[in-house]
Amino acid sequence: MTSDAVIRIRDLEFRYGEGDFRLRIPELSIQSASSVAFAGPSGSGKTTLLHLIAGIVTPIQGRIATAGVDVSALSDRDRRGFRIRHIGLVFQEFELLEYLSVLDNVLLPYRINPALDLTQEVVERAHALTEQVGMVDKLRRAPRQLSQGERQRVAVCRAVLAEPRVLMADEPTGNLDPLNKGKVLDILFDYQKTSGTTLLTVTHDQDVLERFERVVDFKEFHA
Amino acid sequence: MSRLGIAWVVLLVGCGQPGDGTTTGGADGDPAAGLAANDALSVYVVNYPLEYFAERIGGEHVDVRSPVPDGVSSASFSPDTDAIAALQSADLILLNGATFAKWVETTALPTTRTFDTSASFSDRYVTVENAVVHSHGPEGEHSHGETAVTTWLDPTLALEQARAIRDALAGARPDARADFDAGYESLAADLQALDERFEEITRDHLDVPLIASSSAFAYLARRYEWNVHTVPVDPDHALDDDGWHDLTHAIEDHAVRHVLWTKSPEGDTAARLESIGVGGIVFSPCTDRPAAGDYLSVMESNAATLVRTFADEP
Amino acid sequence: MKQTLYLAWRYLAFHRVKTMILLLSITLILFLPVGLRVLVNQSSLQLTERAEATPLVFGSKGSPLELSLNTLYFRSDFPEPMGHEEQERILETGLAPVVPMYVRYHSQGHPIVGTSIEYFEHRALAVGAGRLFAKLGECVLGARVARSLGAEVGDAIISSPENLFDLAGEYPLKMVIVGILDHADSPDDDAIFADIKTTWIIEGIGHGHQDVSEQDATSAVLSREDNRIVANASIVQFNEITDENVGAFHFHGDISHFPLTAVIAFPPDQKASALLQGRYQSDESIQVARPSEVMGELLDTILTIESFIVAGAVLVGLATLASAALVFSLSLRLRRREIETLFKIGGSRASVISLMLSEMVVVLVSGVVLAGVLTVLTSQYGAVLVRALVRM
Repeated sequence: MTSDAVIRIRDLEFRYGEGDFRLRIPELSIQSASSVAFAGPSGSGKTTLLHLIAGIVTPIQGRIATAGVDVSALSDRDRRGFRIRHIGLVFQEFELLEYLSVLDNVLLPYRINPALDLTQEVVERAHALTEQVGMVDKLRRAPRQLSQGERQRVAVCRAVLAEPRVLMADEPTGNLDPLNKGKVLDILFDYQKTSGTTLLTVTHDQDVLERFERVVDFKEFHA
Repeated sequence: MSRLGIAWVVLLVGCGQPGDGTTTGGADGDPAAGLAANDALSVYVVNYPLEYFAERIGGEHVDVRSPVPDGVSSASFSPDTDAIAALQSADLILLNGATFAKWVETTALPTTRTFDTSASFSDRYVTVENAVVHSHGPEGEHSHGETAVTTWLDPTLALEQARAIRDALAGARPDARADFDAGYESLAADLQALDERFEEITRDHLDVPLIASSSAFAYLARRYEWNVHTVPVDPDHALDDDGWHDLTHAIEDHAVRHVLWTKSPEGDTAARLESIGVGGIVFSPCTDRPAAGDYLSVMESNAATLVRTFADEP
Repeated sequence: MKQTLYLAWRYLAFHRVKTMILLLSITLILFLPVGLRVLVNQSSLQLTERAEATPLVFGSKGSPLELSLNTLYFRSDFPEPMGHEEQERILETGLAPVVPMYVRYHSQGHPIVGTSIEYFEHRALAVGAGRLFAKLGECVLGARVARSLGAEVGDAIISSPENLFDLAGEYPLKMVIVGILDHADSPDDDAIFADIKTTWIIEGIGHGHQDVSEQDATSAVLSREDNRIVANASIVQFNEITDENVGAFHFHGDISHFPLTAVIAFPPDQKASALLQGRYQSDESIQVARPSEVMGELLDTILTIESFIVAGAVLVGLATLASAALVFSLSLRLRRREIETLFKIGGSRASVISLMLSEMVVVLVSGVVLAGVLTVLTSQYGAVLVRALVRM
């Protein structure tokens, strides 16, 4: 393993309750500032791994170090604090809050965890991000007034506002038409290159896979 | 309406901020006793005799006033709204009764503070003969005949009025009852003496026929059983032919030699009567304040006039 | 906390219909029993005050409640009248000053109260404009009557006939307004006051007409014999009392039989009150009502009603709270995905939980505050509101 790995996994084992699903990863390292896609059949544990790396769930055994932190050993509270600062999440269904405006959706992470402090500088950064993705004129709009592509752009802004070390996108283009798919991917990769963040994605889309530096095939992990 | 229904009406109706107030007036709640003990009672009267009686009885405890301006006859007076307002704020209002001051019937006077001083003998009022009465339909409501108003000319009735005044004053100012009693007793003695005087004067001349020119002498005539016939003649106007005819007719019928007047008749009426051997007796009813003297002195003067008149009678 | 409240506020504003319904429901279930209690307490206080300011009411034998309601509130069917002689009888005892009442007629829906000027002294009613009535045919308006009729001093009002078909009985009398009372916040605001003799004129007991003894009244004369004149039905009766014709007004009959609906007595002390009541204890035709007792019994009934209503309101309130709790729990279920997202992106447990609870807390607190405001308003203006509802 190289010393600038942002994610290190060793002897990881995970299952949901008493079910049949098992995820076993003996070893996995992901380089910092790289773009990695998780590919494989449905149910192979791709999203689960994202959740494990983010500390949303914890393994039965093994160790996950993200950005130098043993996430698997943190308390639930510490994992949330870690996540809100260092992990940005983009979802297939966008997961914007319908009752908040575009700007408020972008600023959401700074309102739901006291680990982040909502300052004027943060607000200005939010304005800058939305401008980069072409949404600065629609800051007061509600999500229902946006197209799907626009919604995903807002979601990306939300995910990167805290300048995370790792940006995770779970099927980010799954609900988008080809035009918007391209735009969103461009935004993700532009951000990844300019900020040096590590971009992880889960996707079935071949077009998406081709743009990533590395593809991890989950066939080998699924037992 | 069911009890519950009434309850709801009262619940809905009965709302209002405090403000109904409590009884006004003095510590005992009687509006008529509202003055401090050392303030004189403001007493309004409708004629001079009541004024005299109230002052004699009330003394320093009363401030007696009349709504009638100087120079105006109280018999024909009618108060304006300012005068009525003054009456309404009086501690006591003393009415003569016997329909004196007809304006009382159409005026809003305070019930509890208004006293009819002749109420005790209202069954003994004298009805004027030949006054016009009217009814509505043959069997409908009817008006009563006119009532003679000069009750105070009969000293015994004046005494009853004085008694009523004393009781009214004592009701308003109970702590001065003793003073009111003393004033009343003093006045009563004078009225009784007056009554005896008139009795003595007329005792020997009961049958002397007299013409009364108005109903003003009705109570006197009844009290002393005078042989009086009333022929209404207005002393302020000269007699017309019809009036002269009625008068002379009565004079002749009753062999009258004297006509009772409330004041000296105008014009040549007196002279015409003199020419047929009929004299005039001016007997002041003292309805209004005299230019000089008081009720008693006026009545004394009236008595002296009678003495002079009957001195010539057999 | 500030951020959580901001998010909660945005949520509630977005779902404004649901929020308003919840808010109104909670406000109502909190306000209803409290507001009702405030209203009943106010009404009780005012009923009690008015009743205690009216020590004794004399009237014909019958319902003390009807007598009290007619005399104090000028409502209800008017009781069987008694004769004016009863007032004299009470006065003769020397035990209490009295105020006669004849509350029977109306003008444009407002009761005409025939009484004496002492009524205003005992009720501490002040004249705001003009003066008290001085003569027949004059009247004084309560403040609210004047406002609703747009009437001023110098205007006139006409009494409403009780029976349109009784042409030979009472007929409309035009009365001139000589005064308007200050606002008293009592039933006196809604009444028209006139001297009791004026109401007797309305009744038809007294009237004014042309002088039948005059030469130009011959068409009104049925017969004339000596000094007795019988007038016929064509005689012109005045339906307005003016300074010019007031002398023509007179009453027929014996005043002792003229009607009164009540006589209010104000005994100066307990002893006089007891003595006065004692004299009428076994009277067969006259009753003496003590409004404080009558109203006290009524208040007991009102309080019983109120207890039932409050109990009902509490039950409804519990049901409403249960419904509100159900709405909240359903809302939480609907927001499960949102909660998952918030946790996934790193929301703290405290922030997410307080966000979810904030909806409920904000609505509850707002409901409490609103209920409190309504209660304060009720205590200030409840009486006015109820009067307005009653008049509608």
